[in-house]
Amino acid sequence: MRNILAIAQKEIKAYFAGPIAYITLGVWALMYGWFFNALLQFFVRQSMQMNQFGMQGPQAMNVNQQMIRPLLQNVTVLILFVMPGITMRTYSEEKRSGTIELLLTSPLTDFEIIMGKFIGALTLYGVMLAVTLIHIGVLFVYGRPEWKPIVTAYVGMLLMGGCFISVGLFISSLTKNQIAAFMLTFGTFLLLWVITWIGSFAGPTIDKLTQYLSIVDHLDDFSKGVIDTTHVIYYLSFMTFGLFLTAKAVDSERWRG
Amino acid sequence: MIEVQNLSKRYGRVTAVDDISFKVERGEILGFLGPNGAGKTTTMRILTGYMPATEGKAIVAGFDVFEQPIEAKRRTGYLPETPPLYPDTSVVDYLGFVARIKGVPAAERTQRIQQVMERTRITDVANRLCGKLSKGYRQRVGLAQAIIHNPDVLILDEPTAGLDPKQIIETRELIKELAGTHTIILSTHILPEVSQTCQRVVIINKGHVVAVDTPDNLTARLRGSETMYVQVDTSGADASAALSRLPGVTRVLEAERKDHYISYEIDSERGRDVRRDLARTIVSSGWGLLELRPMRMSLEDIFLSLTTDETQTPAAAGDAPPPETVATATDGAES
Repeated sequence: MRNILAIAQKEIKAYFAGPIAYITLGVWALMYGWFFNALLQFFVRQSMQMNQFGMQGPQAMNVNQQMIRPLLQNVTVLILFVMPGITMRTYSEEKRSGTIELLLTSPLTDFEIIMGKFIGALTLYGVMLAVTLIHIGVLFVYGRPEWKPIVTAYVGMLLMGGCFISVGLFISSLTKNQIAAFMLTFGTFLLLWVITWIGSFAGPTIDKLTQYLSIVDHLDDFSKGVIDTTHVIYYLSFMTFGLFLTAKAVDSERWRG
Repeated sequence: MIEVQNLSKRYGRVTAVDDISFKVERGEILGFLGPNGAGKTTTMRILTGYMPATEGKAIVAGFDVFEQPIEAKRRTGYLPETPPLYPDTSVVDYLGFVARIKGVPAAERTQRIQQVMERTRITDVANRLCGKLSKGYRQRVGLAQAIIHNPDVLILDEPTAGLDPKQIIETRELIKELAGTHTIILSTHILPEVSQTCQRVVIINKGHVVAVDTPDNLTARLRGSETMYVQVDTSGADASAALSRLPGVTRVLEAERKDHYISYEIDSERGRDVRRDLARTIVSSGWGLLELRPMRMSLEDIFLSLTTDETQTPAAAGDAPPPETVATATDGAES
């Protein structure tokens, strides 16, 4: 555990010592703000129209359903774009600069190194999510959203992010080249997102299968305020599998030299 | 302290290291000598647990590097060919991180970092970023990183590569200082380095160990006979006849003639010192004796003779032929 923490801290420092953390957070905050603003305007116009029809009080529009849920769904797409930038360097950079030799010749297990890197990336992702809480806070100032579905949505986003990170780590461990890692990771994420698109044409079995595989689809229940163990288990097993692949890739690299 | 038994490493069809064995005793400095691509780095990477061997066994500080890698790594310090630095980290932070992952207790870390920085003379760059350091400083930070957990065994891959002459001397001094308390393997393709710092040399070529011995023994072993270099002023006369008549002298070769000065290379029987006789003969003949010194075969010659002709085993070389022929012999006794 001590070693995992040491690696995780080093990773977080590395993100913030270089430009990656600032660029990622900056782009993220800008895009998120844009999404938020657009959806808020839409929501305000709609609720004003509703007002004109005389629907008020208990019939007023639900901020959670009409505003926060679509916002978070849009944001998952944003995560697809930003996440490869976080994970691309994790292994690639160490391989290119030779610092991987330091890690692999230190008294650390592969598991400790991988978990350290995973936790480091997850922390940066956590900071990204924390930035979005500012906007949600604004909604609390001017309206009365339910806080419970928001909490479950964030739990779901954290789990989903963990899956993306585990895939990103694996791909980064395959190459020295950060650009290659970025492109491959991005492609994989995109594929995991659009995988359901063919489902509806391909028959019920494949439809179900693709829906199960799609990382993003599993988030839906979370954003409705439901924590379904199916999805939790899906996310956790997905992460485990990604990290397992990373461990195997690092190990096989060692044998191949 | 370090024991390597029948170690082999193959990458696909390429054999990088082929069945090598050697031992290093506690406190010793072993030089690992060989041309580029001989398998030095591969062997060191196996010893440090960076990669497993295809066959064979390696024991470092009493632990098998394949069976108990964590224990072995705890006792090993390693400086790879390129120092493994994080460019965006300051030297102090970097050493702090390394100390942590190498298992230096939190209470001792600050003190240990200070000691190591003083020892490798990097205190003045403590707060600079690793990425902004000059090559010499990088190498020294790399060395600091290798000794931070006070390991029993130090493995240094070309520790002086890319340094300026003053830094090279400083680094060698540092390595010699460390030898008392640490067991050191260092690799190099620079020969004088080996004769200056190492107690024993392993010469490796194309994945094979060609010779293991002390630098002095290697020199002696390859010298088939004693050779003297003599420069005389004979006013034009030829001294070779007079010199070759001396007891013990087997051959006199005129090496160079410049005006009145003539240089001879004189071979004599092994173990027989003919210097007194040479001097007496020259002086009593009325010639001027300008220079008289034994010719030693340099490590360069040894290295070349061992690595250019693979079939020439050191044992065969040690037996009879004079040194000049060793390097070129193609009909070696055991080929």
